[in-house]
Amino acid sequence: MSQRGVWQLQKLIVSYCNWGGSSRGVRAFMESELPSFKEANPQLEVVTELNRGQHPYLKGLYKNKNERVVSVMNMTPEEVQLCATRLRNSLGRKVVKLKTRHVTKHPSVQGTWTTSTQI
Amino acid sequence: MANRRCIQTLTHQLYKSKLYTNPSSSLHHLRTLSQIPNLPLKPLQSHLQYVLSNPNFNYPLTNFTTHRHYSSDSHNNSDESEEDDSEFDENEDDDDEMEMRSSGKKEYSPEEKESEAADIGYKVIGQLERSDRVFKDYEPVFAVIQIGSHQFKVSNGDCIYTEKLKFCEVNDKIILNKVLMLGSKTQTMIGRPVLPEAAVHTVVEEHALDAKVIIFKKKRRKNYRRTKGHRQELTKLRITDIQGIEKPEMPAPTKKVEKTAVAA
Repeated sequence: MSQRGVWQLQKLIVSYCNWGGSSRGVRAFMESELPSFKEANPQLEVVTELNRGQHPYLKGLYKNKNERVVSVMNMTPEEVQLCATRLRNSLGRKVVKLKTRHVTKHPSVQGTWTTSTQI
Repeated sequence: MANRRCIQTLTHQLYKSKLYTNPSSSLHHLRTLSQIPNLPLKPLQSHLQYVLSNPNFNYPLTNFTTHRHYSSDSHNNSDESEEDDSEFDENEDDDDEMEMRSSGKKEYSPEEKESEAADIGYKVIGQLERSDRVFKDYEPVFAVIQIGSHQFKVSNGDCIYTEKLKFCEVNDKIILNKVLMLGSKTQTMIGRPVLPEAAVHTVVEEHALDAKVIIFKKKRRKNYRRTKGHRQELTKLRITDIQGIEKPEMPAPTKKVEKTAVAA
C-alpha cells in the first residue's frame, strides 16, 4: 500500500526454522518466490532470520511504527506469498471495523442542507 | 447390447484391416456385417452402403472413429444416439478459459477481458505512478460516483473503501467513468443517468482485509450452534481529480449559492 505515493511497509522479516516441518512451506517460498518478490518491491527491505525450534512467521514493520506479525506455520509457498503480498498491500493501520466507507475532510461543497435552505 | 458389441468388434476389425490388408477381405467383412439379421443397423447402413458401392478404399481415415465405453464414463441420455454417428474428434480446449478451473482462478489472459470486467466495476486502469504531481489541494467540486453497486459523493482528496477491485495493484491510477452527478459552488450537472464526458481520477492506496466479523448462528433448545469468521477484502481509493466541470479559480469564501441545473 502506499499513502499518497509513499510505500508504508518498510521492512519484512521472514523468520523460519531449518529443521522443523512447519517451516517447510516458508523454506520453499524462500527458494522459489522470495527473490522475485524482492525484485518486485525494491523499496522494501526483506530480511530472513533463522529461528530454530520456533514456528515460522512474517513480521511487517510499517512507517507508523506498527508491527504486524502473521504466522505462516504449515502453509504452502503460494499461501506464504499471498500473506507477504497482503502485508505489502496494506497500510499499517490498526485492524478495526470501519466507521464509514467514505473518509473526507470537506463533506459539503454547496453548503450543508438545513431545513431552511432554499433552492 | 451383445449385438452392438459384435458390430463394434467387427467394425474395429474392418477398420484395422482397411489399414493393412488387401481390399478383398475387407469387402468380405462388410458383406457379413450387412447380412446379420435383426440388427439395429440403420445409422450404420447408409455408411456401409456407401462403402460397399465405393470401389476405392482410400477413405478419409478420420471419418471412422470408434468409441470405447468405460464404466467411468459419464452417462448422458444423448450417448445412445451419438455412439454410432459421431465422426468427429472432440476438441474442447479453450486454453484461455479452462486452464485453472481446478484451482478456482480464472486466467483473464486477453486484456480485453480485463477491461470488460473493469467496465462492470466502472473503472479503467491507468498507469502506475512515478513522481507525478497528482495530489492537489482541495477544490470545492464534488461528484457522485458509482462503483459496482455502491454510490459515493466524492470530492478531491477523499478516501473511499470499496469492495476489492480485481485488476489493479497498489499505486495504480484508476479512472472511474460512471459519474452520475457533478457539482461545484455555482453549477450542478445532473446525468441521465450518467454524465458522458465526466471522469474522476483516483489512486489505489491499499488492498486490505477488514476486521473480522463473527457470524454466529444459534437455535435455542435445538442443540444448534455455528460460528463462522469473515474478513471482507477492501480497496482504498484516494480521489485525486474530478474532470468534466468548470472549477472556480478563486477559492472565494463568499457563500452565495446559485444552482442552475444543467441536464447532460
